[in-house]
Amino acid sequence: MTTFFSDWYYLSIRSIKQIWRPLLALIPSLFIPLFFFVVNSASLSAFSKVEGFPEGISYKDFIAPVALFTAIFFSAGNAGIELVQDISSGYFKKLIIMPISRLTIILGRLTEVAFQAVFQGLIVLVLLLAVGVHIKTGILGTIAIFALLMLFAMAWSCVSMIFALRTQNARLVQSMFVLVFPLLYLTTSQAPKNLLPPVFAAIAEKNPVTYIIEGVRALVLYDWSHPAVWQGFVIALILFVVLVALALNSFQKALK
Amino acid sequence: MPGNIIEVKDLRKTYPGNVEAVRGVSFHVKEGQFYGFLGPNGAGKTTTMNMLVNLVKRTSGEIIIDGQHLDQHARDIYAKIGFAMQEIGLDETATAREMLQLHGRLYHLPKERIEEQITKLLKLVELEKVADRYTSTYSGGMRRRFDLALSLIHEPKVLFLDEPTQGLDPHARQLIWNHLRDLNEKGMTIFLTTHFMDEAEALCDHIAIMDKGQIVTQGSVEELVTKHQAKNLEDVFLKTTGSNLGDEEVNLKAADPYARSRM
Repeated sequence: MTTFFSDWYYLSIRSIKQIWRPLLALIPSLFIPLFFFVVNSASLSAFSKVEGFPEGISYKDFIAPVALFTAIFFSAGNAGIELVQDISSGYFKKLIIMPISRLTIILGRLTEVAFQAVFQGLIVLVLLLAVGVHIKTGILGTIAIFALLMLFAMAWSCVSMIFALRTQNARLVQSMFVLVFPLLYLTTSQAPKNLLPPVFAAIAEKNPVTYIIEGVRALVLYDWSHPAVWQGFVIALILFVVLVALALNSFQKALK
Repeated sequence: MPGNIIEVKDLRKTYPGNVEAVRGVSFHVKEGQFYGFLGPNGAGKTTTMNMLVNLVKRTSGEIIIDGQHLDQHARDIYAKIGFAMQEIGLDETATAREMLQLHGRLYHLPKERIEEQITKLLKLVELEKVADRYTSTYSGGMRRRFDLALSLIHEPKVLFLDEPTQGLDPHARQLIWNHLRDLNEKGMTIFLTTHFMDEAEALCDHIAIMDKGQIVTQGSVEELVTKHQAKNLEDVFLKTTGSNLGDEEVNLKAADPYARSRM
């Protein structure tokens, strides 16, 4: 058991080093959420005056959680690309014939994703605070937001790793990027559910991303008692457990 | 009398599309032996080696390494073997020293031992001066030498080498040969596949020649030459396989899950 944790630790350090090299690669996944936040909060600010929009909340505050979420959503897919690089270079073979649990290889990648989510989320958070966004649940709420984002980022990165292991093709894994947009926009990210057209509202209700965004939003705009908080955590946890299990299964299948 | 460290019984591999890469191979390797595995391209050498280290699932057959069945004791066996593959797999985002440190840790060596091994191995493969450079900056020869060092970090009991000197200049080739001889003299069992007859003659004390998925002959170089009334090992090879080295291009890569085009 001791070696399990030490193997996990060393593989995490290796993966974390990979995301710093090159550091410039982190910029696009920060630029996109900030760009959308600035453009949307400026161009759609009048939307907060529409009947049915939550009272006393500006559109900027309403979409601030989306900027935080998007920052981690875009970068979490990189785990699959890094895995394909290991497979392509042949290094993956070296890892799998080491006397270590294969779960530690996945967990090492997930730790990197969690680390990156915190790092990128913090940068976005500082910028949001600088433009006047206020987090109602305070420091504890901020920690909870990061916990929720990390959990989802790790779950989503499993999807990219499953894709990587099944296809072993970097271009196909990169093309997964297109999934981010429907998953992000067919939610309540831009408008509350009661203001969405019925078809969109029905899709948003089935989209798990809605619950993560609503969880973060509840922690930013409301308080701990809001049901969206626990719903967000439950959905993120279920996604995490199921997708890690599926990633492990793909791992075993890809080996032979 | 040394015992068998590798025992292989009726090993078979059929890839999808009914491609029979390995067709009932049985052999054993004695502890401390330098075992050469020869054959033309597509003979099934790499598939056999990949099955021995559990990188390719066998269709049937039995593999026992150091008295342990591969199916039941894979992780124990991984701790005892080293593998330098034909396709050199390095982490391009790491330096050589970082990679050796990581591997030492993942093989659960004590910290001091890791540092001793790093110093020794970098010297062995003449890469001390470039140890802190990213491996992506290495030439082909440097990469191959480093890959050998990496496979030796935990001082394995059995070293598997798949074409270890392919693409090396004569100096680097000689350097590797000397190290391999030295390791073998110190008791390490070495299982080598090669295309070079001179390499097999210079290093191996037992040779198996494989063709079309089966072992067609085996023994020491002297035994093979006598048995096949040949002039030398190359002549044995030609007589038993009916082909010249490198002539046959049976492309099994399409069936290898790792060999698909990925980029």
